[in-house]
Amino acid sequence: MLELLFPSNEKRLRRKFYAAARVAPPGPLRDYYEAGLPSFDTPAADLRMTAIDLETDGLDFAASAILEAGLVDMVARSILADTAARLRIRPPAALRAESVVIHRLTDDTLSDALPENEALDLLLPLLAGKPLVAHFADIEAGFLDAACQRVYKAPFVGAFVCTMQLENRWFPRTRAADGLRLGKLRAGYGLPAYTAHDGLTDSLACAELLLAQIAHRGADRLTLGDLVRR
Amino acid sequence: MEKATELGEVLAFLASHLPFSRLDHEALAKLARHCRISYHRRGTRIIEAGQENLYLSVVRSGAVELRLGGSELNARLGEGECFGYPSLIRGSPAQNEVEALEDTLLYRIDKAAFLSLREADPDFRAFFATDEASRLRRAVETMRAEEGDGSLRQDALGTHASIATLIRRREVVTAAPDMTIAAAARLMAERDVSTLPIVRDSKLVGILTDKDLRRRVLAPAIDTSLPLETVMTASPLSAVEDTPILTALVMMAERQIHHLPVTDASGQLVAIISSNDILARLGSNSLLIAKEIATSPDSAGVARAAAQLPAAMNGLVGAGVDADHVSRYVSTIGEGAHRRLLELARNELGPPPVPFALVCFGSLARAEQALGSDQDNGLVFGEGFDRDRHDAYFESLAKHLSDGLASAGYRYCPGDIMATNPAYRLTVAEWESHLRQWIDSPDPQAILESGIFFDMRGIAGEIELVETLRARVFEAASANRIFLSFIARAAASTRVPLGFFRNFLLQDDAIEGRVLDLKAQAITPIVDLARTHSLAGAIQATNTLERLRAASDIGSLSDDAARDLAAAFEFVRDVRFRHQADQNAKGDPPSNKLDPESLSRFDREHLRDAFRLIRAQLDKLRSDYAGGLT
Repeated sequence: MLELLFPSNEKRLRRKFYAAARVAPPGPLRDYYEAGLPSFDTPAADLRMTAIDLETDGLDFAASAILEAGLVDMVARSILADTAARLRIRPPAALRAESVVIHRLTDDTLSDALPENEALDLLLPLLAGKPLVAHFADIEAGFLDAACQRVYKAPFVGAFVCTMQLENRWFPRTRAADGLRLGKLRAGYGLPAYTAHDGLTDSLACAELLLAQIAHRGADRLTLGDLVRR
Repeated sequence: MEKATELGEVLAFLASHLPFSRLDHEALAKLARHCRISYHRRGTRIIEAGQENLYLSVVRSGAVELRLGGSELNARLGEGECFGYPSLIRGSPAQNEVEALEDTLLYRIDKAAFLSLREADPDFRAFFATDEASRLRRAVETMRAEEGDGSLRQDALGTHASIATLIRRREVVTAAPDMTIAAAARLMAERDVSTLPIVRDSKLVGILTDKDLRRRVLAPAIDTSLPLETVMTASPLSAVEDTPILTALVMMAERQIHHLPVTDASGQLVAIISSNDILARLGSNSLLIAKEIATSPDSAGVARAAAQLPAAMNGLVGAGVDADHVSRYVSTIGEGAHRRLLELARNELGPPPVPFALVCFGSLARAEQALGSDQDNGLVFGEGFDRDRHDAYFESLAKHLSDGLASAGYRYCPGDIMATNPAYRLTVAEWESHLRQWIDSPDPQAILESGIFFDMRGIAGEIELVETLRARVFEAASANRIFLSFIARAAASTRVPLGFFRNFLLQDDAIEGRVLDLKAQAITPIVDLARTHSLAGAIQATNTLERLRAASDIGSLSDDAARDLAAAFEFVRDVRFRHQADQNAKGDPPSNKLDPESLSRFDREHLRDAFRLIRAQLDKLRSDYAGGLT
């Protein structure tokens, strides 16, 4: 039914996806596109998704750097702990001066961090073929795109599931100004309060929120089309 | 890039909950990786009974309910508690249906990871043992090891701690019975011993102490060229090497002796141990109290000595002494107080006009006293008792005893089961007919209140009177199936909890309270079970553990059931003593009631095991003896 109401949603995303694929240079980004996108008809129960959270040093996609990516895979009813991954990224030279000022990054804290290009080479295969789950996914979409533009001179397009948007769409109500924050929403579902705020913990926190949202919405007839942000 | 990254939240949560908290980082990280996280909305099914289960599930937040076969409430689990392991271990479908009681987040560890760690780590395996009795036994051992201070190894002061562990050297200075007194005195001086065992053919035949030399030789000016056997204490008390330390202590306390010869199984003397050896080990004034009571000049002295009992009990509990020995010790002090007070009363009132015995009932009779006990006693009269002529004396005797006990901390019995009540000053025949009324025409309400009368023990006076009475009563009871069925039903009517849910007690119908009564809800049901079996089998023993052993010997209880109940009995009493030790330390009056919130996770889990074992045996009792009566 949703497919009928929003016939262009999947097509629009696919068009962007294939357009980006055409300009992607051979290598990890090209490989990412070749893995394709699951059909929006895919039942949620059959989906494998990757929850992702990026820690950045600002909110400006072009001018801020990604410092860390945390990711963990999930299916509709559970999160797979053995897929947890964390990448630390060294801000590109162009962005670095500012980063150092803001985050007082020292060489020491960056010792296990990878240059942005190497980090993306490792990150993209982890995302390939899967919808990406994030809380306020515009950030992850924007930063991944900016990073791919810098490194591969080509855009990043993915099927994003945004837990913040889903909450508003599925359970609309009047809320306090900060009512859509991850921690607030989690508390409403009886999910535990997590104290650490690194990328990996936040990706887990977001994945758990999606499990809760799906459980409350009723997973039985959900498809990817119902989940993907609009 | 870090491969094999762990989710810090999962790791940290597991690391703060048993049994995962005992794992090393590597093992823990492996479990945290081989884990799925799932969310279950309130009211949804997590596992169906009869379905294959693939995970050890740990409740991360929320709560779940387990129902056996989908119907009978089995447990409610909150944060940090685990389910699903019995089916993984058995490799068979789940027996419990599991439903989310609240919105619940679970960490679900893969079957293979769970089983391989279980294989590799004995502690982890023990935690998930599906045999409650072995879990309980292990729990008791762990606690003992933890309670005792570093210098006391578990094997040196647990149930198996015997006086053999106190023997420092096996070379004993001995003398032959025909040695002269003078030579023996020289020998003792040279070898610096205060106790001389006298041995013939390497068998102990007598003993001579410094005190004996003073009192039996010097004071009466006996000729010291006479042989030792004329002044020695012949056939002295001795103990075999494997006698538990506390039993030896109690033997010495009761007889006010300070040295105890130790023999091996063949009766050959191997050592002499002193009460100081034991006290040094226990670090407590436990022996002194018994002595002080036995030598108190008046009831105030008995009360003063008895007032030290809580501190002594704390010493024993703190030293990791097992519950059975603590109970026996507390009971010995109680018994001593009864005896001494009776003796003092007799000194005041003069000799009794007819033979009599002091009989005690309930926990003191079973040697299972804890702190805060009531007095439960009566008098049994022998031949020639004439109520009109003699009862005034015994009434007065009973009053002295009862008041003395009350000032020593043994409360007046609220049910008035005391020798001060004329209904409990009876001849053997009167007692018999009193007890026979319950046996011959049982009444459900009366049966509930009659239980303690079937735990009886003579503690002073003509003890045979009590023995005779008990033998007759038990013979009548064992022959009466209807009476037994009433007793069994009364026992089985106790509501033993299922376990705990958060800080509440969980019952069958899920009504929850905040108070656990360890005595009424866990200890008494086991005592009742053992008593029922002992009445049915006319078993001589009065002590619960001895009754359980005897019941399994005659086949009235299976070996497993006797073992299960003994383990449960030990554990719940251990919890009670630790609880009472805490109350003592805080200056609170001793009680059997506690708030589940004060229980550690460890105690809760094991109490749940104990409850389960007790419930199973109560069910069995109901079907074995109370069948046909509804």
